[in-house]
Amino acid sequence: MWPSSGNHKGCPDNYSLGKHMAFDWLDRFQHRLEKEPDYARKSLAAYRLGMKAKGSIVGVMVQPAPECCDAARRLPAGKVYHPDQAPNLPLPDCPQGRHCQCLYRPVMSYQHPD
Amino acid sequence: MLGVLLRIPAFKLFRRLGRPRVLPLNLTLSPSPKCNSRCLTCNIWIKRENELTLEEWRKVLASLGRAPYWFTISGGEPLMYPHVVDLAQSAYEQCRPGVINIPTNAILPSIPETVERIARSCPQSQVIINLSLDGVGEKHDFIRGVPGNFEKFEQCLEQLRAVRRRRKNLTVGIHSVVSVFNVDHLDEIIAYADRSGADQFITEIAEPRVELDTVGLPITPDAESYAKAADRLIRYVQSKRFRGVSRITEALRVEYYKLVKRILDEQDQVIACYAGWVSAHIYADGTVWPCCVRGDNLGNLRDHNYDFKEIWFGKKIQAVRSSIAAKECHCPLANAAYTSMLHDLATLARVGSRLLR
Repeated sequence: MWPSSGNHKGCPDNYSLGKHMAFDWLDRFQHRLEKEPDYARKSLAAYRLGMKAKGSIVGVMVQPAPECCDAARRLPAGKVYHPDQAPNLPLPDCPQGRHCQCLYRPVMSYQHPD
Repeated sequence: MLGVLLRIPAFKLFRRLGRPRVLPLNLTLSPSPKCNSRCLTCNIWIKRENELTLEEWRKVLASLGRAPYWFTISGGEPLMYPHVVDLAQSAYEQCRPGVINIPTNAILPSIPETVERIARSCPQSQVIINLSLDGVGEKHDFIRGVPGNFEKFEQCLEQLRAVRRRRKNLTVGIHSVVSVFNVDHLDEIIAYADRSGADQFITEIAEPRVELDTVGLPITPDAESYAKAADRLIRYVQSKRFRGVSRITEALRVEYYKLVKRILDEQDQVIACYAGWVSAHIYADGTVWPCCVRGDNLGNLRDHNYDFKEIWFGKKIQAVRSSIAAKECHCPLANAAYTSMLHDLATLARVGSRLLR
């Protein structure tokens, strides 16, 4: 879903996103961190503020863990939610509780240049 | 500075054997995540925390004694934090650091006055203010998400240079985050910084951090693009003539750029990371992290009677230190990298040989 190049809405002329490097270890590491009890409330409130205050956040998505529960697996892949509509993590029946490894990820405008 | 060098053997033993137990010399304080920038490379500004009060910060700083040599007061936008002068003064009075380093987005018109108050109230510390610059003109405004930011940057820089003439313990620098959004425009930024009259020009590569909620975002340039940029930065530093302490810091800067190239290329912790031994980060709500990239919760100071030592010498941190020592992470975080370089004999030898030339 992330463009390797392409113009971005609102950007100056001659501007393009270059190739990027992912830090895969950090992505895996963050999945393993134990969640705070107010993870969903706090994260979604932050994304709500981000959208309201004209940042480049356009929504939030759920990044399921590789070994997520059935309910997480049933979530539509790659769906971008408004924070008001995003499911609460951990999902209600998640057997892993605060060790649930699914995460919210902000979705930025430059990831969706159209 | 000599005191810092003398503590290196103790930190090397601490990392290897767990003894002697030493408090960190490099500490980042983030009193608030609030920020009036809307950068493409950072989402910290969307967070709200139950922030430590000034009185709570004072208790934390008292527990550190004279250990920290280098404080970074970070954010959010640290100069937006209403108690930033008192916080800096409290750190100064209780810890007597050699350096108090503060980055700023240069937006608020009150910044020069606030900086002068900090420099005045911390007379024996070097106060370093680094103004963020991610592009020239509208490119800067675009990356920072604030129309007119570049114009404010220029005004702020000029005013801070005037403050510097009155306050000899003030250094005014320019700090650029090299990201996918500006890596192709770096020459323009270097040229601008060179003629700006700033005391220093430093860069850091944009990287995903748990702190900034940027994990997974495509902001870090690929190894090849950054290598070209780093070579350009190295040529720039080497083309300049420095005197005194600046010769050392610039030699370390060249080493840092080379280190980042290797980290991106090898995807490995190229030199031993000392985050969690020599450097640490205290977040706005009192949570202690080894660094802002991993953001491991080592404990909250509110739950430890504001005594940093309880967390630093406690049990929870040991598993995190084991993970860092086992190279389960690698990153180019500048703040941690510079302290780690001081503990790497090969780096020190190269810096020494450059200084002798």
